[in-house]
Amino acid sequence: MKTKGFAFIVVILLFISACGKDQAYEPEKINPEVDVCEVCNMSVAAELFATQMIMKDGDVYKFDDLGCMIEMIETNGTIQTADIVKKYVRDVETGEWVELEKAYYVYHADIWTPMAYGVVSFATLEKAEAYISEQGIGELLNYEQLKEHQWGWE
Amino acid sequence: MLSLRKYDGKLRRRLGKIFCVFTVILVMALLNNHRHHVYAEEFIVQEGDSIQAVINQAAHGDVITILEGIYHENLFITKKLTVIGKDGATVDGNGKGNVITIRNVDNLSLTGLTIRNSGKRQNESGIYIEKGMNNRIENNTLVNNHFGMYIDKGINHHVENNQIYGSDAHYSSRGNGVHLFKGGDHLIESNTIEYVQDGVYFDFTKNVHVAENQISNSRYALHYMFSEQMVAEKNDISKNITGLMVMDSEHLQFFNNTIADHFHFRGFGMLIYHANNIYIEGNEIIRNSTGMSFDKAISTESVKNIIAANQVGLEFIGENEQNIFTENNFIANIVQTKISNEKMRLDNGIIGNYWDDYGKFDVTGDSIGEERYKAGSLYDQLLRSQPAWQFFFESPAVIMWSKAESMFPSIGRSDVYDELPAVEPFPLGKDMNEKKQPNKLIVVIGVFFIMIATITLVKGRKYT
Repeated sequence: MKTKGFAFIVVILLFISACGKDQAYEPEKINPEVDVCEVCNMSVAAELFATQMIMKDGDVYKFDDLGCMIEMIETNGTIQTADIVKKYVRDVETGEWVELEKAYYVYHADIWTPMAYGVVSFATLEKAEAYISEQGIGELLNYEQLKEHQWGWE
Repeated sequence: MLSLRKYDGKLRRRLGKIFCVFTVILVMALLNNHRHHVYAEEFIVQEGDSIQAVINQAAHGDVITILEGIYHENLFITKKLTVIGKDGATVDGNGKGNVITIRNVDNLSLTGLTIRNSGKRQNESGIYIEKGMNNRIENNTLVNNHFGMYIDKGINHHVENNQIYGSDAHYSSRGNGVHLFKGGDHLIESNTIEYVQDGVYFDFTKNVHVAENQISNSRYALHYMFSEQMVAEKNDISKNITGLMVMDSEHLQFFNNTIADHFHFRGFGMLIYHANNIYIEGNEIIRNSTGMSFDKAISTESVKNIIAANQVGLEFIGENEQNIFTENNFIANIVQTKISNEKMRLDNGIIGNYWDDYGKFDVTGDSIGEERYKAGSLYDQLLRSQPAWQFFFESPAVIMWSKAESMFPSIGRSDVYDELPAVEPFPLGKDMNEKKQPNKLIVVIGVFFIMIATITLVKGRKYT
């Protein structure tokens, strides 16, 4: 009887501990019905432009436009920059999630994005270049150049 | 020499005049020549014909009447025409491209058509108007297009009496009812817009008048982005996620709109985000999850609105400045105000608002309460950091706490207040027309009882 009870407790403990193991910091799926931009309150309806960042404690902040995410990082006092574990942007054509630092960007004031920041992201350099030649407008930026970018809210 | 020079000048001037007249005549002649005939020709299109073939054949200024029937075509119009659809005249885009594209045309008129099944990519729409001015789009029915209408630049278009229905798909994959991109001076009046993403989307647009439209079952009814000098009045806005979404815009005016039933848990009656110089008068904002929300709003004025039966009546998020409220009725909101501001006076120093949770008295008889109305509570601020504490809403502890807090107002709460709270609601909306007349029936009954009493008294005395 005693061993049975013990085994039961062990199983329960295993279950409980399993809950806390989810530390992969994978990007969360966007649900346009519930997800709202943390900064501008707009629902994330144009899913391909969505971005998100995942905090150390597992909190996920979602944004409808890359510009909003950068605004939150750079101006919002409620979060600690050190607590941000991952920042994801999407390839605007396929929706594939890419880390902010690894993506390539195209900026032009006339490129439509939900908050009109005009910066779209791509998984690879080739795709970004292809987009520029296809659209005939746009300035190519890598992550380092994106840091220097002058955003609309600045 | 002198006189000769004078004469020379005169001649030159006269020659100049003659040249001017000549040029004008020449230009007019050219223009006239360009227009093939003086009177507008009329074309009639029947089922089985191609509308586009007739459009190509028609000249500037002609009239095309389309008889009942379904026309599977994508139309392309680049000249001034009057296109009239008779009952049941339907243009079907077969699910690709724009159904009707109008490019660089002035003074065109398009009426009475049913326009359906545009493509679903990017900006594909039922009617796509590129540039041009003074075009009239009236009495059309637009169904199952990605965007109903996309107005790309252009000036002074009239969009009136159209019915725009999107599709059953989730709003994130629908287009907007009417999308205005740059340009301005348009009139959007008396349209019915349903099941689209955003009813009317103002994208870098100026000076658009939006009146008496019915917008429902969409994401945002009116969505302002980077736009200015707009007026929206008498619109009936209901059952969307959010009624008015005002973002990064300025100099907007909202008069007498009804904004009701926005109960999505992330919905608002109106949300003013990062905007300035917004004037809001005479609107009914009822049954929304949050009635009015202000986030980084500067210089707004809200006058004579009814804010009633919302889950949260008035909300301030972030830093707002100079938001004046006068003569508004805040009635029966579950949470009257939810505030995160540091300090703000709501009334304008002359008149305040009616808050039904005020609960203080008017001692001096000027129908203004003697103590200020304080918006928000400590509980609101706690909720901001601990959203799960909503669970304790209206629990005895929270009620006691809020009560204690209102008696000792020093505990670090936000200081947003109305110095001149009215003790009676202002007569607004429907009440405004109803004059308070004494009920006739009561008067009659009263007189009747007085008579009986008198008779009993008089008669009763006689018998004793």
